[in-house]
Amino acid sequence: MNDWIAFFQQVMNFGPQIMAGLGNTLLLAAIITVTGLVGGIVVFYLSLSHNRLCRKLTEGYISFFIGTPLIALLFLMYYGLPQWGVRLSPLLVAVIGFTMNVAAYNARYLMTAYRGLDQDELEAARAQGFSSLQVFRLITLPQVLRLSIPALSNQVILNLKDSSVAFLIQYTEFFAQVQDFAVRNFQFFKAYLMAGLVYLALVSVIVIASRWLERRLILPGVRPL
Amino acid sequence: MVLLQTRNLGMEYDGKPVLRGIDLDLAEGELKVVMGPSGCGKSTLLRCLNRLVTPTSGQIIFRDEDVTRPDTDVRALRQRIGFVFQNFALYRHLSVLDNVTLGLRKLRGMPLGEAVERAKHELRRMDMVEHHHKYPAQLSGGQKQRVAIARALAMDPAVLFFDEPTSALDPLMSREIINVINQLRRDNVSMLCVTHDLFLARSVGGRVLFLDQGVIHAEGDAEQLFGNHSDPRIRAFFSQEAGNQ
Ligand SMILES: Nc1ncnc2c1ncn2[C@@H]1O[C@H](COP(=O)(O)OP(=O)(O)OP(=O)(O)O)[C@@H](O)[C@H]1O
Ligand SMILES: [Mg+2]
Repeated sequence: MNDWIAFFQQVMNFGPQIMAGLGNTLLLAAIITVTGLVGGIVVFYLSLSHNRLCRKLTEGYISFFIGTPLIALLFLMYYGLPQWGVRLSPLLVAVIGFTMNVAAYNARYLMTAYRGLDQDELEAARAQGFSSLQVFRLITLPQVLRLSIPALSNQVILNLKDSSVAFLIQYTEFFAQVQDFAVRNFQFFKAYLMAGLVYLALVSVIVIASRWLERRLILPGVRPL
Repeated sequence: MVLLQTRNLGMEYDGKPVLRGIDLDLAEGELKVVMGPSGCGKSTLLRCLNRLVTPTSGQIIFRDEDVTRPDTDVRALRQRIGFVFQNFALYRHLSVLDNVTLGLRKLRGMPLGEAVERAKHELRRMDMVEHHHKYPAQLSGGQKQRVAIARALAMDPAVLFFDEPTSALDPLMSREIINVINQLRRDNVSMLCVTHDLFLARSVGGRVLFLDQGVIHAEGDAEQLFGNHSDPRIRAFFSQEAGNQ
């Protein structure tokens, strides 16, 4: 018992750094959640193009980023690009790398949901005189996003957890600070346990928020995937 | 006055002819019914006429304008044609009211209040106004189809196209739709209706065209065609359809 009290004392002393790390984690996760969703929507839109080449390119993009480990891309940009004289901040590298990766996953979810749409509705919208962009914005996207809420919110959880990888490119996020704390205080077990619990608490918030969103947006008679 | 006519209209999918030499006239305020076996090209004909697909030959004249010309504004053309589908095709994420107002607001740029008023007027005409807050999944087939008709009428179209409007409905609900079409006839709405349903064709009157393998083989009053027609193909089709009912 006493050693837990001592542990929390040490945590308090390290509080500012840990809170700053948590702030950085939330910042990165929030940014890539937004950019990854916007990017995913753009890639999804391109995947519906009438142009064969455009469809092939988006398919290639998705396969490439789902197929390669994110860490390789982050290292390439952070440690590789300086050899060509391009130096980017850890946050910028993380945002670019994660966005490309998350957008690929989100696009895939949206494409899967698209297969569940009623093509007759899209045809009806075209027959009414809507442009293809209007059909996308007014009919396709609202339906596909609703159907994908479970998959997309799962991705938000992954964004939060995976943001710890940015630690390896010198981005001082939460896990990096916990690591620093653990080494300095020789408190490995308790520190990593605490880190796990903090992630779990944050994930719970996301889960509750997504359930709420789903309940609010659910359509009578239409089940999400 | 002629509203819509085609001259020698032809359509091919990948070199396979689906429509050949179609000459069709529809006068203002007229109703015509197109019948024919499955796969004969009925839907393709309607889709050509509002340029959802591009015909491979011939001309379509819509109110004295050749709408097969490459510089045709197809979206403007489509906005003047109300299209009612077999499977209703209501936008499932929108309420009944929003289904009807969407086109008014996004295509006509009508302010919300005005669009709602106009939509409610059309829904009232279809006896659906009390359901305006419901979603498509909460309606019966006949109700969905009446909303679909209200959605088409709200755009104040020059003509209504029906693609088998009753084939997803049971006889009772088909009756509702037939009554609506008859009511629209009295209001002088121009209509082109594709159907398998002999009862529908009989009940709404109007000239009937018989389409088979992409060619119009006969045109006449319903009774004329349903009776003992000299063309064996027409006889076979109608006796079989009569058996199905
Ligand atoms: N997009 C397409 N690509 C290739 N062939 C098509 C396409 N659409 C229709 N066809 C073919 O064109 C022919 C006519 O089809 P259409 O849908 O117009 O028939 P229909 O008379 O409406 O039939 P139904 O009564 O079953 O609705 C059919 O042989 C069909 O296979
Ligand atoms: Mg058809």
